[in-house]
Amino acid sequence: MEKVNRRTTLKLMGMGAALLAAGGRGLAQQTPTADQLVKGKNPKMIVLSQRPVVMETPYDLLVSNPERTPKEILYIRNNVDLPGYNTVEGANLEGWKVEVSGLVDKPFTFEAKELLSLPQHEVTMVLQCSGNGRTLYNPRPSGNPWKRGGMGNVTFRGVRLKDLLAAKGVKLGEKAFYITAHASRQGNAPEFVRSVPIHALENALLALSMNGEPLPAVHGGPVRLVFPGYFGVNNVKWVEKIEFTEGENTTTEQVPRYRVPTIPNAAIPFLPQEPGKTYPYTLQNSRPNWLVTLNSFIFAPLEGQTVEGPYVRVEGVAFNDGIVPIVSVEVSTNGGRTWHQAQLERQEKSFGWIRWRTTVYLRSGEHEIMARAWDAAGRSQPLDGNIAWNERGYEYSGVMRVKFTVA
Amino acid sequence: MRKPLWILTIAAASLGGYLALSQFTLPEGPGQEVVLAKCQACHDIGFVARERLSRERWDAIINEMVIRGLQVTPEERATILDYLATYLGTEPPPAPPPAQAAAPKTGAQVYANCQGCHGPQGEGNPPAFPPLKGHVENLLKAEGGRAYLLLAVLYGVQGEVQIMGQNYTGIMPGFAWLSDDELALVLNHLVAWGAPEGFKPYTPEEVKAARAKALAPEEVLKLRQGLKLP
Repeated sequence: MEKVNRRTTLKLMGMGAALLAAGGRGLAQQTPTADQLVKGKNPKMIVLSQRPVVMETPYDLLVSNPERTPKEILYIRNNVDLPGYNTVEGANLEGWKVEVSGLVDKPFTFEAKELLSLPQHEVTMVLQCSGNGRTLYNPRPSGNPWKRGGMGNVTFRGVRLKDLLAAKGVKLGEKAFYITAHASRQGNAPEFVRSVPIHALENALLALSMNGEPLPAVHGGPVRLVFPGYFGVNNVKWVEKIEFTEGENTTTEQVPRYRVPTIPNAAIPFLPQEPGKTYPYTLQNSRPNWLVTLNSFIFAPLEGQTVEGPYVRVEGVAFNDGIVPIVSVEVSTNGGRTWHQAQLERQEKSFGWIRWRTTVYLRSGEHEIMARAWDAAGRSQPLDGNIAWNERGYEYSGVMRVKFTVA
Repeated sequence: MRKPLWILTIAAASLGGYLALSQFTLPEGPGQEVVLAKCQACHDIGFVARERLSRERWDAIINEMVIRGLQVTPEERATILDYLATYLGTEPPPAPPPAQAAAPKTGAQVYANCQGCHGPQGEGNPPAFPPLKGHVENLLKAEGGRAYLLLAVLYGVQGEVQIMGQNYTGIMPGFAWLSDDELALVLNHLVAWGAPEGFKPYTPEEVKAARAKALAPEEVLKLRQGLKLP
């Protein structure tokens, strides 16, 4: 390169200054990083929305913690931002009250700190946004463009809702078919209400801690009503009212949001919505994103990686709604013509993810690997996930494919 | 340094600048300001700007937002739908109109960004959105109020405030994406509804200087709490 003389330097500097001035508008507005938006989050988190806060875990960070997802990197999908709650530190229990009402014989209100004196229970579960994997649908559905990082495996600890009811001597009414939970509206926060079927009471937990630490405020602290086996949206953060109701709630978060189309009285797994079209969501022709769909994820090798061959270790996780155990995970290296069984870490009912691994023999060159899980109810994943296309892009569970190179 | 390298550097830098800009703003086009005015009160505008949906889907989304409390007249709704379907549709948007010698904007035109919430005459829309008429005058009379007003418009305000006897807890978004000139224009437009004797109009230079502070909306709220207001 020629030597840069003084005049050229000055010209370049002038040009640079002009560009800065022109670009200033844009640069001044650079998206804040995750740690600027939520105190204590890893700055590498992908910010999908600043208001309300939505951030995705980069896939490589997710897989670097295959046991449990730490609070610093757990994804956030808030529909409501409570002022002052954007931190991974715990929120104050003092003075936090929760009302229990609806179809119960004795409605009551309890203080969050009362929960500390009741028997504690722990559950490890997958928390997953029902929009996770949305960008894999085609055409593109609306909403936050989640890749695969809208999930995590966490351990909640707290008091079972049914233990609390028993401790208070409260009986449910005959027509209490749903549990409807309301989030706090402090700071004029918009309404957020979700209903789940009453069978969820079996495992429902009033969580006070996550991964052995006080439940982070941004993840719903001080009290979050957790339903193991259910999609993230149902696990109401900052819960302030729990109602037992005869019907599903009809506020927007229950209908039309967070639903997928169904044919009434037909239990077919995938649904008749033409890609690209809208759907007139009603309580009758659609169902809410409730139980987590069976899914599996490849944690190694990662997309685009080069690995040593010819023996390549393939590993990942699989999970379902926890109603039956996962019985097998299969891996294919030839586009799904043949499948090879992986070893499962354990075979039992679980709300958490189950790790699996196998070794495949591959010659050097480029390869694509696929993984799919099966559970004891005979459920599996579609090879083409787009078969479940819906306009909001919920509940993606297509078989994951990873392209990599064997050296 | 050789010429091609020069040009390449400049091109790359301009592209960077363009991307930084385009990421957070909506494409220019008729209806852009109504969309900004109506959507920004609740959404980070990047959330809207990155969508690419069919007209039918946008229509369904506007319906959903109406269920969630969006207030629009039928005319505004049609303008918003046309804009979204054209510029954030599944087809590539039409080429931007040729840069005409843009007629200088007026403060009233820039105010279109504010009127969705604060009303065409600054009358406000309690209990969600406070009035500006009267309130701005009070602010300007308070010590430090002049600087605060500029920062509130630039960076937004978040938290509970009491204005003319009424509590407001909504979020006011920042308008940092407006140019220094536009911000000065709109501030002086507000001032026209009432200012203390000997008031000095806002200048683009002042806005530029304020940008260097980079405050969060919560910090702006703290400044407000320091003012002595009636």
